[in-house]
Amino acid sequence: MLSKKPKAGTTFGYLIVPLALYTFAVFIPLLVAVYYSFFEWKGGPNKTFIGLDNYAALLRDSVFWQSFGHNLYLVLLCVIGQVGIAFVFVMVISTRFVKLKGIHRTLGFFPSTISAVAIGYIWMMIYDSRRGILNWFLEAIGHPEKKQVWLNNPALVMTLVAIPLIWQYIGYYMLILLSATSAIDKEILESAELDGANAIQRAVHVILPMVKSTVVVCIVLCVSGNMKAFDNIFVMTEGGPGNASMVMAMYGYKISFAQQNMGYGSAISVGIFVLGMAVIGVMQLISKLFAEKEA
Amino acid sequence: MKEKQYGMTPGKRFGNGVMSVVLNLIMLLFSLSCIFPLIWMLYSSLKEKRQFNADIIGLPKVPTLSNYIKILTNPDYHMGESLMNSIRTTLVSVFFIVLFGFIVGYFLSRIRFKGSQFVWLMLLMGMLIPVHSLLVPIYVVFNTLGLNDHWYTLMIPYIAFGMPIAVFLTQSFIHEIPTALEEAASIDGCSFSGTLFKIIMPICRPVMVTVAIIQTFACWNEFSFALVLIKNVRLQTVPLAVKQFSGQFGSDYPKIMAALLVTMAPIVIMYFCFSKQIIKGMVAGAVKG
Repeated sequence: MLSKKPKAGTTFGYLIVPLALYTFAVFIPLLVAVYYSFFEWKGGPNKTFIGLDNYAALLRDSVFWQSFGHNLYLVLLCVIGQVGIAFVFVMVISTRFVKLKGIHRTLGFFPSTISAVAIGYIWMMIYDSRRGILNWFLEAIGHPEKKQVWLNNPALVMTLVAIPLIWQYIGYYMLILLSATSAIDKEILESAELDGANAIQRAVHVILPMVKSTVVVCIVLCVSGNMKAFDNIFVMTEGGPGNASMVMAMYGYKISFAQQNMGYGSAISVGIFVLGMAVIGVMQLISKLFAEKEA
Repeated sequence: MKEKQYGMTPGKRFGNGVMSVVLNLIMLLFSLSCIFPLIWMLYSSLKEKRQFNADIIGLPKVPTLSNYIKILTNPDYHMGESLMNSIRTTLVSVFFIVLFGFIVGYFLSRIRFKGSQFVWLMLLMGMLIPVHSLLVPIYVVFNTLGLNDHWYTLMIPYIAFGMPIAVFLTQSFIHEIPTALEEAASIDGCSFSGTLFKIIMPICRPVMVTVAIIQTFACWNEFSFALVLIKNVRLQTVPLAVKQFSGQFGSDYPKIMAALLVTMAPIVIMYFCFSKQIIKGMVAGAVKG
């Protein structure tokens, strides 16, 4: 803190523009969503106050809860896929056997810089039934009977839209974890090796505890990042077939813009807000419990 | 390396050899998978649609730029305009995110003012709010006020959403700078604003570059808010431009690939020229944010 403060007017003058803009784009819309969620409103000039009816409908709306479930499923797959695989790759890349480390870093990180829209199109072309690489590959290895219209399979579609997300961000988490493991003293690992700990024991008992806080950061980023899933699902399936790959943001978009049901869409937005905050809260709680148990 | 292998039995050396091959292979396969889509799109976009449909994986027999020419010259696609829109939106947004991040970060870190706790809380909330809960309401607000479909429309949410992380990164950076610097400047008769911009800002260059890198990618790639706030095709950003191609000729893959590559080009070129700094910036941003 500075001992000599600037005039209150100076402080105000500097802060008013950024904070006003911020409030306008973040908090005003939230309040507006709460307001309109009490109305029956199809986007036109007429709105009818209906109290909590939208929320009552939301609680009974199986599609909304199914979408929430899909969000959670996606988060789970991505935590295991992105952070889990990234950790394994970090262990692999840190061994003295692996060459070309710089190239693995540069190429591995590359997909995370591309827009989710582009990634969505690329994978749509991979999954395509007639001209896709996946079916071409199955044909090439002699399993043409496994070919199918991949994104039309309701049982598989959530996993199929998760795969591009996982693939896209493995390198991202790999580099975050690498920055943490490279700070570990080499002597600790060597002495563990001399004591007879094999590679897996070293990874689990020596490295993992030392980078625990970074792993937690990765998981937090991964959960909040994948609760936001929208772009690639919009491109690949628009939530279909049926509602098999519907996520909350996609559902809110469909209700509000395809059906012009702005009142109910606002209630869904409030629902996304509450559930999103709840997931983050639960996660904080778990990581706190986890930290206490360790201590 | 040499000393390590000294004294190993032949069996163990063989085991290490197998291990080395397997581990290298795993990493190579992963790295290849990361770059393969880009290479596949690069050469496939040089094929005619018919040739691509006949053979999706082979190299083009007669490379042609016709897909690119069609995309870039047909005025209905607004490709040039979309690129310009994205460049403008990204540059202006990133400029203000960095500037506002610096100013707010400085005040939070150095000056005890009324309501500073409240500002903290506001920005923290902004980091935690699921951004898609704002998608519908922001459309309603902008629509009511007539802010939809202008050249500056997207800059408002982009600057706002980029601010929390920019503030937190800059704030923690400024926290490490000794206050003696500002005290000395003030004794020498330097004004508050002069100190802020002429003394502190140059020191903050590294963190400002980090913020700029992170936000350039975020703004260039942003899709969902552009989707709801921009309806005029002449104002669309590149993610929207790509979307229009899938609707019009969903099965003409070489053309979609050409479009994707054109819209990705600035980012890809930037990435491969400055990958070291970009990775460093993004990782620092993720860990500290």
